[in-house]
Amino acid sequence: MAVTVRQQISARKRSTPRKLAWLIGNYILLVILAIFFLFPIVFMVVSSLKSNEEQLLSDLSSLKAFIPYGTISLGNYSGVFARLPFGQYMFNSVFIVTMIVVFGLFVNSLIAYALARMNFPGRRLMLAVMIALIIVPFESIAVPLLLMVNNLPWFDGSTTWIDSYQVQIIPFIADAFSIFLFYQFFIGIPKELEEAALVDGASRFRMYWRLIVPLSRPVFATVAILQFLTHIGDFLWPLMVTTGDTFRPLMIGLQVFFGQQPRSWGEIMAFASMITIPILIVFLLFQRWFMQSVASTGIKG
Amino acid sequence: MSAETTITAEKARATSGKPRTTSWQRKEMLTAWTFLLPASLLLLIFLIIPFFMAIYFSFTNQTLIPGPIPTEFVGFRNFARLLQDDTFHRALLNNFLFGIIVVPVQTTFALSLAILANQKIRGIYVFRTIYFSPVVTTIAVISVVWSFLYNPDQGLINHFLKSISFGHIPNLQWLNDVHLALPAIIIMSIWQGVGFQMMIYLAGLQGIPDSLYEAARVDGAGRWKQFLNVTLPQLRNTTIFVVIATTILAFKLYTQVAIMTQGGPENATITSVYYLVQQGFSELHVGYASAIAVIFFLIVLVISILQRTIIKEEGQG
Amino acid sequence: MSSKRPGLILPLLIVLALLLAACGSQTAPGSNGKVTIKLFFHSGQGSERNALSASLKAFEASNPNIIVDAIQLPEGSYTDQVHAAALAHNLPCLLDFDGPYLYNFAWSGYLIPLDRYVSASMKADFLPSIIQQGTYAGHLYSLGQFDSGLGFYANKKYLMEAGVRIPTVDHPWTLSELNVALAKLKKVPGVTFPLDLKMNYGQGEWFTYGFSPFLQSFGGDLINRSNYQSADGMLNDPASVAAMTWFQGLFKQGYVNPKPAGDTDFTDGKSALSWVGHWVYPTYSQAMGSNLLALPAANLSQGAKTGMGSWNWGITSSCKNPDQAWTVLNFLLSDHEIVRMTTANGAVPARKSVIAQSPLFAQGGALNVYVQQLQNGVAVPRPITPAYPTITTAFQVAVSNIVAGANVKSELDAAVKKIDRDIQDNNGYPPPSS
Repeated sequence: MAVTVRQQISARKRSTPRKLAWLIGNYILLVILAIFFLFPIVFMVVSSLKSNEEQLLSDLSSLKAFIPYGTISLGNYSGVFARLPFGQYMFNSVFIVTMIVVFGLFVNSLIAYALARMNFPGRRLMLAVMIALIIVPFESIAVPLLLMVNNLPWFDGSTTWIDSYQVQIIPFIADAFSIFLFYQFFIGIPKELEEAALVDGASRFRMYWRLIVPLSRPVFATVAILQFLTHIGDFLWPLMVTTGDTFRPLMIGLQVFFGQQPRSWGEIMAFASMITIPILIVFLLFQRWFMQSVASTGIKG
Repeated sequence: MSAETTITAEKARATSGKPRTTSWQRKEMLTAWTFLLPASLLLLIFLIIPFFMAIYFSFTNQTLIPGPIPTEFVGFRNFARLLQDDTFHRALLNNFLFGIIVVPVQTTFALSLAILANQKIRGIYVFRTIYFSPVVTTIAVISVVWSFLYNPDQGLINHFLKSISFGHIPNLQWLNDVHLALPAIIIMSIWQGVGFQMMIYLAGLQGIPDSLYEAARVDGAGRWKQFLNVTLPQLRNTTIFVVIATTILAFKLYTQVAIMTQGGPENATITSVYYLVQQGFSELHVGYASAIAVIFFLIVLVISILQRTIIKEEGQG
Repeated sequence: MSSKRPGLILPLLIVLALLLAACGSQTAPGSNGKVTIKLFFHSGQGSERNALSASLKAFEASNPNIIVDAIQLPEGSYTDQVHAAALAHNLPCLLDFDGPYLYNFAWSGYLIPLDRYVSASMKADFLPSIIQQGTYAGHLYSLGQFDSGLGFYANKKYLMEAGVRIPTVDHPWTLSELNVALAKLKKVPGVTFPLDLKMNYGQGEWFTYGFSPFLQSFGGDLINRSNYQSADGMLNDPASVAAMTWFQGLFKQGYVNPKPAGDTDFTDGKSALSWVGHWVYPTYSQAMGSNLLALPAANLSQGAKTGMGSWNWGITSSCKNPDQAWTVLNFLLSDHEIVRMTTANGAVPARKSVIAQSPLFAQGGALNVYVQQLQNGVAVPRPITPAYPTITTAFQVAVSNIVAGANVKSELDAAVKKIDRDIQDNNGYPPPSS
């Protein structure tokens, strides 16, 4: 702090050309990295616009893969709609994932709050079990789970959950990793607010709802994003528990394209783009907010 | 936690003088159980019980579709076979390799990106968004697109390598080459995952008070020293979180392998979860697949516990 | 995501979810005396699906008392889904299977024999290969509308330029002829990989269907067919090893592209020969017209061998209306519907009566070579055993590794180990006693 103003000004003057070079170099690096992160997605979208399959394949090996030229049309997109009920699949995916996320936020944060703030016998054990459960990969319990849901009754009188919405939603509402993230965040919140509320006679639920939840926007957002991304890509389970188009989600649609000959890569790219672009748009709209939430959760980790 | 609530309860006792401590404590316990119940019930029914069913299956010869051969107890036969199963050994090895490479590389890359993206220059938000965008693309879609890019004759990656090396690099076989297949998947996975970690580190960086850097500068520390003595220690918690989470995710590797290489060539990319699915679903050996699941769980559990213990020990002080 | 959740939204969502779920999982209301037959089919070529839909429409027009609920499943994971449905006791009345996956189903008790529905004269009208494919443990469990044809498609111009002889079923190429032809074709301008083996299909049933005939033509096989108890001494015997070594050599010498990006190497003129089945005929003939030749399999030392078997239909044991299911199936198997399907997908019609009237398959027709192969014993069925899922997976993995350069003998030994172990685990797959 002993640097005088005159010294500061001359320092700035002296290093301006160097600063400029540094700045340019910086930008170049940033742009190179941006290309690295963008090129597959650009390739996917551009390819989806090429309705000439042969041209698409021959373009693969050159920069033309990134340039929409030649037969450009939305032909691949209409092809997708012709091959499968995209609208139905999209609705199913959105509905199922939204249900999982919304119920999940509620259910998982409740248990995390109890683990973080309340004292009860077996708390430590439960916490340890929770963390261990994060390790279990879904694929290892898929078959037993299938056997189980096949025998569960439902409110409309059916004796099985196969081929329904609930079978794709309910088993995934509680998620060990989400609970862990909530827990990590909650234990980082200072306890003074709640202690004051306790003395005032507030119920635990009140404290949860009025104090903790508003303070925890970042972690709620992060958990929502993570669960959303995880379950939008669910494939194995819907394949096993649904037949027919009524309840199937988007990712099964991808399989449809892989089974059929001739394999139309243009349509596959169109399908992939139709899954990706909406998510990207939503992300772009909320990006500052999303990224900040992810970031804030990380600090408490 | 328990200390705090007991103190508060005692406070209540002390201030009010009325004998409502027991009922308060009971109410607390009841509330706790209400909070715990939904998730616990769901986890119990849909995760824990199936997991125990899988453990049970691992001791039987259960097939996917029940047939004339009744499901019987076969004791440790599945586990004995696993011990000698070269494919399973390779799968575990691949999981380890994947973890050992991805965790440090992706973490370092993420930190570097975060430092880069933390600069207050114009348009930095655009770059941050771009770096994060692969994270929001589903892994299945990414696997499909990258298989195209990795194509030996017509893929862009080989083409790019050829042009920057003026033809000296031959057409690499990538997904078809025993030595390149796993690295190919590693590169793609890092590409997808690093954006997320970058954001976490970014926040960590922004949470470091400037005063610490000032103090270091006054002490004469250059940029590098500042990084070592201020940045890294302040990011310790973040790094721990990132490392543990990435390790667990690395072991669950499945979709990329299923779409791009089906475990090949010569098991170069086979992973535990992929082998599990292949055994259980394609070959109908549910008993064997469950044994794989059990061993997998135990191994990852041990690794996670080890990680936590090591990190905790280093943390003392 | 707003953290302010007015108390109303959550309960509303719950109600909405329950409503939708309740509405969703109700089965279609049964209607006045009509029987609904549920049907699974694999979603194959576009033209196949259209033909099936048309057939089913025609059926419903002439059979107003039977409603067919046809459910299309993606082909890539078709068998997995059928397995999941079987596990969940959710199998339909009628479903189709890819060739030899039938036997595990029949052995597991999921299918009913069709013997009582099929008259002797009807049986005689079907190609013997179809009957052979559908028979397990002495009972007929399935019938297909078509059988497959597998052979060499050839670019006539390239063959002539390289001076390669045109083979016939009676005089197929010998091994040395084929090797010489490949070497010559590689030198023809415009040809990058003389032989297209459709490696772009990826690891799957194609590997077994398309490449096990090479084993058999060399004198080896996937399994010992005398009693189907072991693959040892068959899949890893010198003949099989020789076959796969030759196969590996095709890649090493640059005759075959191990990883084509797309499906068009042959129609683009990059390949002179294409070893593939009937299903590409519509695309190939459209692209190449009279420049396209359909040639028989080669004799790689122990006689020319080619693949056979294709999707076939069966009735499940859980079907509550097997007689009506048979009515549907019988309709699909009628001459007219077989013509409709095979015109759409280029497959060999399953009934001799249809073949005789088909311009493509009758004597002199462009694809008559397939019929000849099916009738003269050139076509060999894939192993008729419930162990087939394990056999095919083991062989597919071996092929993938061999293509990538692995040691042929050790790969085949590894495959044998897997197959034999599966057979032992299932006590040799004893046929159901009935």
